[in-house]
Amino acid sequence: MENAAPGELLTELGATLERAKEILAALSIEPSKAAGALQTNDRLEELETQISAGERDREELTARMVEAEHQLGRLMNLYVATFQLHATLDPTEVQATIAEIAVDLLGAERFVLLLRSEGTNECEVALSRGLDQDPSGLYSREKYLGGDPLVDAALEDGVLRMGPDEFSDVIAAVPLRVQDAIVGVLVVLKLFDHKTILRAEDRDLLDLLAAHAASALFAARVYSNTDRKLRTLESLVQLVRST
Amino acid sequence: MQPRKILVVDDSKLIHKMFEVLLRQYSLVHCLDGLEALQALGNHADIDLILLDINMPRMSGLEFLNQIKADNFFKEIPVVIISTEGKEEDTVRGLEAGAAAYIKKPFGNQELLEVIQRL
Repeated sequence: MENAAPGELLTELGATLERAKEILAALSIEPSKAAGALQTNDRLEELETQISAGERDREELTARMVEAEHQLGRLMNLYVATFQLHATLDPTEVQATIAEIAVDLLGAERFVLLLRSEGTNECEVALSRGLDQDPSGLYSREKYLGGDPLVDAALEDGVLRMGPDEFSDVIAAVPLRVQDAIVGVLVVLKLFDHKTILRAEDRDLLDLLAAHAASALFAARVYSNTDRKLRTLESLVQLVRST
Repeated sequence: MQPRKILVVDDSKLIHKMFEVLLRQYSLVHCLDGLEALQALGNHADIDLILLDINMPRMSGLEFLNQIKADNFFKEIPVVIISTEGKEEDTVRGLEAGAAAYIKKPFGNQELLEVIQRL
């Protein structure tokens, strides 16, 4: 080195400087690359968080949609039951509708509709299904004279009773009210084997029956009686005119 | 292809009303028993699907099903039995008679819609 020509030294110095420049350039680039990689990682984490949040939202919306469809189904059943109960003024058809609600919507295999006889505490068996397999024998005659604690209590205070309990095999005793009067009770004695329990939406239906079945039946009976009297009067008037 | 015209055979007026509300997007033909349904099939050649109850007066659902499955013109129409008869043997009997699906009453609306869309 000591014997090197100044030109060579300058060349070597130039090369060293070039090398230094390259190292400096490399050093100046590396931090930005590292920073870029850090930014990319942050962005990835942010995106992953957003995706997780999106998936949670989707799951929540799916659950809400299922719940909304469930509620829609409940409301539809209530609408259809109410519509059918008030769609006719024929007492027989109203009773048939009550039976259809019990069978098709509640899943009742064995049930009985008891209506209070006017002026007494006795109840007539207005409608029944599956009573040939009734082990209690309380409803097999034309009249119910009392004997089941849940049914008797529902008839007494007008409060819906759910069973069975240690004293009664009744699954539900649904009091039928017209204004403040308790005019009867729908007694569910057995559900179909594939319908194991009464669910929350069934409770809605039972409440609806308690509120609407009796008034629909009462209105139909009043109309039927009035219509019959009207026809009798019309016949009398025609008879008087013809004589 | 989704069915456009559905024949509903059930003696419960409540069920007919329910289908009216639930299946608004379809054209429905209503019958109260199997005999009436056979006549309706003669009048509506474009029925795509039949929703059928089992226990009905005059002609039961199974009798109706046997008749249409023996008829070359109607046997391809898919039939969905919707019945309170929920025992395993009832389901097997219905499917063996040619039903495409068996739904037990009371049924969930979504369950019925899914079966109809599948067929």
